[in-house]
Amino acid sequence: MDLKQKIAEVIETSNSEFMAQCYELEGVPALGSLVRTRGRDCDIYGIVYYSATHSLEPGRRIIARGQNAATDRDVFKANPQLARLLVSDFKALVIGHRSGGDVKQYLPPSPALVYAFVYTSTDEEVRQFTQSLNFLSLMLDSRLPVATDEVVAAFLRSAGHTHPSSQGFLIRAGKELAWLLSNDIRRLDSILKRLSQ
Amino acid sequence: MTLDITQVYRQVEEMAGEMKNRRADYGRRLATATEVLKSAATEQEVLRHKVERAHTSWLLAGLKEDIGLHKAPASLPSDFCVVGCDGSHIDVDRHHSERLFLFNMGVIYLRYGGSPDAEFISSPTLYYGEERQNIRSTGGQQVAIEGPLLGIKRGVEECRSLADRVCSAPDGLPVLGLIDGSLIMWGLVGQRYEDFVIKDLLDEGLLKQFDRFFELNKTRQAALASYISFPRSADVANVLRLQICPYDPVDCDRHCQGKLEGRPCDEIAGVIDRALFGKVLGDRERSPVFYSTSSINTRYGIHKVCFFYIGMGEEVARVEVPEWVADDEALLNLTHAIILDQCDKGFGYPVCLSEAHEQAVVTGTDRDQFWDLVDRVLQEDNIASQRSLKQRSKRVRWI
Repeated sequence: MDLKQKIAEVIETSNSEFMAQCYELEGVPALGSLVRTRGRDCDIYGIVYYSATHSLEPGRRIIARGQNAATDRDVFKANPQLARLLVSDFKALVIGHRSGGDVKQYLPPSPALVYAFVYTSTDEEVRQFTQSLNFLSLMLDSRLPVATDEVVAAFLRSAGHTHPSSQGFLIRAGKELAWLLSNDIRRLDSILKRLSQ
Repeated sequence: MTLDITQVYRQVEEMAGEMKNRRADYGRRLATATEVLKSAATEQEVLRHKVERAHTSWLLAGLKEDIGLHKAPASLPSDFCVVGCDGSHIDVDRHHSERLFLFNMGVIYLRYGGSPDAEFISSPTLYYGEERQNIRSTGGQQVAIEGPLLGIKRGVEECRSLADRVCSAPDGLPVLGLIDGSLIMWGLVGQRYEDFVIKDLLDEGLLKQFDRFFELNKTRQAALASYISFPRSADVANVLRLQICPYDPVDCDRHCQGKLEGRPCDEIAGVIDRALFGKVLGDRERSPVFYSTSSINTRYGIHKVCFFYIGMGEEVARVEVPEWVADDEALLNLTHAIILDQCDKGFGYPVCLSEAHEQAVVTGTDRDQFWDLVDRVLQEDNIASQRSLKQRSKRVRWI
């Protein structure tokens, strides 16, 4: 495992999603990026759909400190304790797992393990994972507290760059979306517009 | 029925009425004290002589610098470290069959400058068994560490935790170790503790930790200080009472025995140092350095506790330092500058101390969890522990 890719640890987990706490305050993976963690007998893949930076203790509010600082970096430099008092975490929607060498684009038999390390995926992993687009139905059917279509479009846009032909991948994804959303043209249109921008 | 707040409200109203009447009188006495301070500044030697010969019923500040001095802070070094420590404890519970207590130390290390860094340490220690729970003399006497003694013992351990972290700060950087409260072990003053208790807690306890800071200064710039927010001391104001006393030498017992008012010096009665220096110190300035004439301070040797006040704008804080810090201009300036900077960053209170408190604090819930844990583990090991029926009745609030 490449330690450079290790960014966080699972702190809450269920069959359909997991929450992970980042080691670095600014180490939050991008919205829609593919991350990998460990389940009981498999690697579990998730797509980041929500991230936040907040006070480590619920009762302590963050207050503005930079009125006399030239840059926002200077606020951290003048207050080195802040990095210990704040924390970044993110939630990832589980969209598949790898067991026995095969990628399976459906939910794993058991959730990610608490304290399991979370890694960013390499371009090669993303390319391999997106050879099949069966995970899209899982994503589209999920009820996320953020706009699901934004997350779908963000993932497909970034995954496109890992394929030899980004355009070709997006056309393939568009066709899959058209099939899955044949009874919801407005939603399809909304996602496709986000893919082309 | 718990506290009947409506009954309290009436009493608070009465109190506020009385305070209002007293306020004008206090303002007049404070103005007098301020004038006396200014006049005292012109007669330094006379005052110093008076302080040395006085026999008073109140604590006096010893003069180390001119009483009229007020000094702006020096500039901060570009790179430096500060370490803050605070502690809390779970006291012996006399309603529990197991006699034990716990200290929780919070230590904060902060590095400023080119490579800013921070480290937070929360370190609990359980004290159990005869040896750890008592202070013993070589002659076989022993005193249980509980109640006020436990608080004093905690102060020693706070200083030990502080010294541990200060000693491992990066080489070459100036460092300030800061604790909350007083460097003077007031708990030992006026109590009839056996000498072996004082020796254990002070000579072999606190002062041994002060020695570590002192030794550290041979290889690097390391200061030790304590910070008292909203101090209630009147050591300097009491010196001003000598200034207006008509008797020479001042001898309260001889000239004013039994009198609690009507004495010449009562013109400034009730004035405290915080209010006095609030009138004379500019923002960020420090007062002159004084030393404490407390009887316990004579045992501190080279670590004799000195103090000064800092004008913080909204409040005046008291800073205590060992004499070797007070006598070293560079260390004194470093202490003054770093404490001001810490207060700027902590919105009026040193940020290293407020964060140390956060690491150390033991809440009511923590206490309940601690005793539940003790009960559970002892039961698992088939060791029966008991709680008093009184405590049980408080936990199970039946009707």
